[in-house]
Amino acid sequence: MKQQAQHTPPFTEGINRVDGIMKVTGAAKYSAEYELPGMTYAVFAISNITKGTITSIDTKAAERAPGVLAVLTHLNAPKVPGYEAGKDPSKPPTTGGPLKFFVDNSVKYNGQPIAMVVADSFERATYAASLIKAQYNKQQHETDTEKNKFKAAAPKGGRNGGDYKRGTPDDWKAAAVKVEQEYVVPINVHNPMELSVTLAHWTADDKVTVYAKTQGVKSTQNAIAQAFKLPVENVQVTTKFVGGAFGNALRTWPHEIATVQAAKLVKRPVKTVLTRELQFNTVGYRPYTWQKVSMGASADGKLTGIIHEATAQTSSFEEFTEGTVNMTRFMYACPSVGTVYKITPLDVNTPTWMRGPGEATGAFALESAMDELADKLGIDPIELRIRNHADTDPENGKPFSSKNLKEAYEMGADKIGWSKRKLKPGTLTEDGWLIGYGMGTGVFGAGRGRATVKAALLDNGTLLIQTSVTDIGVGTGTAMTQIASEIFTGIPVKKIKFELGDSSLPPSPTQGGSTITSTVGGAVHDACTQLKEKFQQLIGNGGTDKPDYVKVLKEKNLPQLEVTVTSSGSTEMRNFSSYSYSVHFVKVKVHPKTGVVRVDNVVSVADSGHIVSPKTARSQIIGGAIGGIGMALMEEGIMDHRYGRYVNNNYADYHVPISADIPQIDALFVNKPDYRVNPMGAKGMGEIALIGMSAAVANAVYNATGKRIRELPITPDKLLS
Amino acid sequence: MKQFQYIRPATQQSVLDAITKPGTKILAGGSNLIDLMKRGVTSPDKLVDIQKLPLRGISQNKGNVMTVSVGALELNSAVAENKIIKESFPLLSMALNAGASPQLRNMATVGGNMMQRTRCTYFYDTAMPCNKREPNSGCGAMEGINRMHAIFGTSEKCIAVHPSDMCVALAALDASVEVKSKKGTRYIPFTEFHRLPGETPQLDNTLATGELITRVIIPHNNFAKNSYYLKVRDRSSYAFALISVAVGLDIRGGNINEARLAMGGVAHKPWRLKAAEQFLKGKPATVANFEEAASLAMQGAKSFGHNDFKLKMAPASIIEALSNAAKLS
Amino acid sequence: MKDLDKGFQADENHEPKENARRDFLKKSSLLTAVALTPGVAVKAAENHLDEKVAAAFEKMPVNITVNGKAHKLSIEPRVTLLDLLREQLHLTGTKKGCDYGQCGACTVHVDGQRVNSCLTLAMTVDGKKVTTIEGLAKGDELHPMQEAFIKHDGFQCGYCTPGQIMSAVACIREGHADSETEIREYMSGNICRCGAYPNIVNAIQEVKNGGQQV
Repeated sequence: MKQQAQHTPPFTEGINRVDGIMKVTGAAKYSAEYELPGMTYAVFAISNITKGTITSIDTKAAERAPGVLAVLTHLNAPKVPGYEAGKDPSKPPTTGGPLKFFVDNSVKYNGQPIAMVVADSFERATYAASLIKAQYNKQQHETDTEKNKFKAAAPKGGRNGGDYKRGTPDDWKAAAVKVEQEYVVPINVHNPMELSVTLAHWTADDKVTVYAKTQGVKSTQNAIAQAFKLPVENVQVTTKFVGGAFGNALRTWPHEIATVQAAKLVKRPVKTVLTRELQFNTVGYRPYTWQKVSMGASADGKLTGIIHEATAQTSSFEEFTEGTVNMTRFMYACPSVGTVYKITPLDVNTPTWMRGPGEATGAFALESAMDELADKLGIDPIELRIRNHADTDPENGKPFSSKNLKEAYEMGADKIGWSKRKLKPGTLTEDGWLIGYGMGTGVFGAGRGRATVKAALLDNGTLLIQTSVTDIGVGTGTAMTQIASEIFTGIPVKKIKFELGDSSLPPSPTQGGSTITSTVGGAVHDACTQLKEKFQQLIGNGGTDKPDYVKVLKEKNLPQLEVTVTSSGSTEMRNFSSYSYSVHFVKVKVHPKTGVVRVDNVVSVADSGHIVSPKTARSQIIGGAIGGIGMALMEEGIMDHRYGRYVNNNYADYHVPISADIPQIDALFVNKPDYRVNPMGAKGMGEIALIGMSAAVANAVYNATGKRIRELPITPDKLLS
Repeated sequence: MKQFQYIRPATQQSVLDAITKPGTKILAGGSNLIDLMKRGVTSPDKLVDIQKLPLRGISQNKGNVMTVSVGALELNSAVAENKIIKESFPLLSMALNAGASPQLRNMATVGGNMMQRTRCTYFYDTAMPCNKREPNSGCGAMEGINRMHAIFGTSEKCIAVHPSDMCVALAALDASVEVKSKKGTRYIPFTEFHRLPGETPQLDNTLATGELITRVIIPHNNFAKNSYYLKVRDRSSYAFALISVAVGLDIRGGNINEARLAMGGVAHKPWRLKAAEQFLKGKPATVANFEEAASLAMQGAKSFGHNDFKLKMAPASIIEALSNAAKLS
Repeated sequence: MKDLDKGFQADENHEPKENARRDFLKKSSLLTAVALTPGVAVKAAENHLDEKVAAAFEKMPVNITVNGKAHKLSIEPRVTLLDLLREQLHLTGTKKGCDYGQCGACTVHVDGQRVNSCLTLAMTVDGKKVTTIEGLAKGDELHPMQEAFIKHDGFQCGYCTPGQIMSAVACIREGHADSETEIREYMSGNICRCGAYPNIVNAIQEVKNGGQQV
C-alpha cells in the first residue's frame, strides 16, 4: 500500500491492556457465560403489529413444547411489585413512563415482546416461542419522523429542552455570505458485538444475583431493587466484561426486569440473550434527526449569526432528548446564535444515547455548514474556523479550563498533508479516482463526577483498588492501573489489581459520557495518594520513594493497609467551561463512475488533556474514528413505515465498517494537561473520538466530487444521482 | 428452529432415495440453509447431509471439447484458490472471492451457492408478505424498501434478486450443471438453471424434486487474459452486490473476437447481456463501444423507486468492468 | 451429559425407525396435553417422564474432538456447533454476535479450516477436530498471534477477539497475509465494532513478518 509509508509505525507504547490475556485466551467471562446449576433460557415472542392491542394470545402449543417451563404473557405474568406501586422501575433518564412488558395488552412498537418462553435449552425456548400466535386489534401507526415533523414540539423536560438565543440570530440573513441548508442523520444502531444479556438467579426469596450487560452495575442494582421492592444490598449485579455497548446498556431496559421476574417464577436461573434483530428495537438507537443550519458571515469570514434547528424522533411513551444543537452555542465566536430543539413522538421504542450522543448528530450539520460557508467564501475551512475561534466560552462568558484547538488543527493538517488539498472541488485525481480532503471538529463536555474508591496495600505486595465501575472496552482497568502506578512508583504494574464491575464494591458512576477516566481516575488518584500518606505515617519520617511495602506490613503485623475515599471535582471548576476537542482529517477516494467512496487516510487529533494510558487511548480514538466513518458512509436503520418494521435489523443489511473499509489511522494527542478538571490533568475522549468525523468524511467527499451529501449515509447511489 | 430428522447417507443412491420425500432438504455447507431455518423461513422435517458423497474434485477433461469439471461439494474457497480455475477461469475465482467472507467460503459449496435463496428482507422476515416464501401473500418489496431489488425480468409477483457472485461468473462462462435423480442424469445450461419469478416466484430454479446437483462443467474459453468481476457494494467487502458485472473478453489484435457479460444484483437470476455481447463481437475494445454495449444491455430495465439508481449504476458498472477486462483503465 | 444416544443412527444407510418415532410423538403429545392444566403457566419439565423418553428419540450421538479432547455426546440435531461449545461444553471463548454468519465472532477451526460455528450444525462435525480460542495457547505460553494482539492492542471490549484471532491465524496459514490490503480483505469476515482494525492488521503483519510458526 502506497499510503503506508507516510504513517506512524505501529504504535505499541504504554502499558498493555491489563485484561488482555483474559481477552485473547477466551478466559474473559462476559455476562452470558456464567455457568449456573439448572440454568434455563428465555426467548421472546414479539409483536408484528406496530400499534394496537392484543385481543388473544395462544400459548398452548408453546406450553406443550418439550422443555418449556413457563410462558409469560400479560395475561399470566406475576406482578412486579415496583410496577404496581406505579413507580418507574427502570428509572430512565427521560421524562414520561418507560415501557413495562407483560403488564397490559397494549402494543406500542413493532417487535415489542408479547410473551416470554422459559425452557431448559436455548433451542427449545426458541422453537417454543415461534409457536405463539397472537390476534390484534390494529391501530393506525406513525413511525416516519419526516412525515411527523409537523407534530414536533419542544421537550417538556430534560436538560435539552428550551430554545436558546443570544444577540439577534436572524442577522445571518443580512450577511454578505450565507448558508441555509438541511441535514439528516438517520437512525443509527449501537450494535455492539455482544448481544444484550441478563442472567438472573434468585438465591433466596428476597435475594437475587444478576449477571447483566450494563454500563452501570449500581444503576442496574437500584432499578432491580426498586422493581422488586428489595433492599438494595439484596440485589447483586456483576458485570466483569462488557462486549461493547456504546450507550445501549446505559439504562435498565424492560426485558431485564422481565428476566428477573421469570427467574422468580421458575425458581431457576434464567438467561435472556437478545437476538441481533432485537438489538435494533429493544435497547435504543440514535434517533433519526432532521436539522437546519442557517449561518451568515461577513466577506472576511467572520460569523454574524447562526440558527441551528433540530427535530428528532422519540417514542409515544417517553421523551428522549440529547444535546444535538448545544455545540453551536459555544463552538464559534459568533455574536448571535439561536438554537431550537424539538422532538416528535412515534410508535417506536425509545431512542437512547449512542456514542457521541446528540453532539455527533449536531456536529454533522454544524461542521458541514461551516465547510459550505468556507467554500462560498473561497477560503480554507481551517482558516474559517481559526477566524472564528472562541477564546472564551461565548455561551456563558467563562474562560475555558483548557483549549488547544488551534494546535490540534495544525497537528492534523500537517500529518494528513492538508496542503495538497485543492480549494476547488473535483480537481484532484489519483489512478482514475477523485481525491478529496475534509475536516470536522468535535467537542464534548469534560467534567468530573463523584466516585468512591477503596485502595489497599496487601501484605503479599499487591495494591488492590476496588470500585463498582464497568469497563465497556475502553480500557478503564488499564487507565486506572496506570494512574495508581504513577503514584505507587515502586509497585510493578503486574502487582496492581483493579477490581471492577460488581455492585458490592464502592460506588462509581455508570460508564458513559466520557467521564470515567476523570471521575473514577480522580478518585483512584485521591485514594492512592491518601493510602501512600497513610503508609508514610505508618513508617514515620525517613521513608524512601520505593519502600518495601511487604516488609513493613509484615513488621507491623498488618495483613493490609487500606483507605476508602470519595471524591469529586473541585468547586473551582464552576468558574470555567471545560471541554474536550477533536479534529478529524480525512482523505477520500471516490470512484467517478460507480460512486463508491473509499477512506484512504485518517488523522484524528484529540485535545483531551494529559493522556493517561497511551496505548488504550490511541485505540479509543481510532475506534471512534471508525464509528464515525460508519455513520458517514454506511449506517442506517431502515424501517418500512407501512409496517413500522425494520427491514435491515441484522449485521448483513445494517452495515458497520469491516477491515477492508479502514486504512491505517493516525491518532494524535495534543497531550497538554488540564489540572482544573482532575489531578491527572486528563479529559475524556470516548465521545470526541466520533463527534465531527461524519462531517469530515462528507466534507472530503464534497472536496473530491463537488457533490454535497446532506443526508447520511453517503452510499454510492447518492453520489450517482 | 423446529426439530428435524438428520441423516448422513454414504451413497448417492441413498441420497436420491431420501430426497424424493416432501419436507426433505439437502444439507451441504449449510451457510444459507441453517440461516433460513433459524429464521423460520424454511422448516424441513428432514435434513439429508450429503457431505459423505464423493462430489468433490476439480478436473480437466481433454475430450472433443476441453472442459473443467467442478464437483458440487467443492468448497467456494477451494474453487477460488484452485490452480486450474485461476489459470483458465480467473473470472470465477474473482467472483467467488467477492462473495461472503473467508469463513463462509470455507463452508459454502458450489451446489449450495447455486441453491442459495434471495436476501430480500421481505422474504427473510416471516411477518412480512412475500410471494416467494408464501405464495399469494403479496410482495412487500414492490412498493416497499426495494433498494437492493431487481431491474430486469421482474414480475408482478416478485422483484427479488439472486444474491450469488459465483453464479454470475458461471452464467458468463456458459457452464452447465449436471444433475442426477432416480430417473438418471441430465445437464442444464447454467443460464437456464435459475429462472425468472413470473407467476411462481417460490421456484428459484429449474431443479426438479428428487434431483441432486453433482457437478458443474465449464467449457474451455479464451477469456482468461481479459476477465474482470466488478462488484459495487455499500462497503468494501462482506456485502451483497448493488450491481456486479462479470466480463470475459477474447481480444485479438485489439478487436473483440468474443464477449461474455453477465450481471448480478439486477434480476432473479444471473443476468446475461446477450445483446451487448452480440454488439461487441468483432468490434474494437474501445470505451465508445463499451458505452454502446452498456446502453444496449439496459434496454427493458425497470426500477421501483429505491432502486432507481441502478439504472445509472448498472451501465456505468458495465463500462467500468469492460474497461478493466480490456485493461483500458 | 446423560447418555441418551439410543436413538436412531445418523450414519450410513441406517434409516431411523420413523414409524416408531411418530407413534411415540403422537402418544407423547397426548400425554402432555393431559398433563397440562389450562391457565397454568409453569410446568415442571423434570416431572415429565415422556420428555426423557423423547430425548432418546430427538437426540443423536456425535463424536467431536475439541482442542484435543474427545467428546462423545448426544445432542439434538438442531444444535449448532456454537451453542454446543458455549452452552454444553462451557467453552465460552467462542462468541455469539449475530447467530447468522454475519459477524465472525463465532469463528473456530474445523479440521484446520476457519468456519462460522453459528451456521455449522454440531452433527456435521461428527468425527472432526475443532479448535477454539481456548485451544490455541500451549498451556501458559500464548500463541504468537495472541501475543501480537496484546502488543498491538488489537481489541477493546474483547468480544470479537477470539474470532479475530482464530481468523488471523487461518489468514496466515491460508497464505492470505502477504500485504496489508490482502490482510484487510481476508479479515473482513470478522466485525469489530470497537474499531480495532488497524491494530489487528498490524498484529497479523508482525506475526507474518516475524516468520513464527502459526
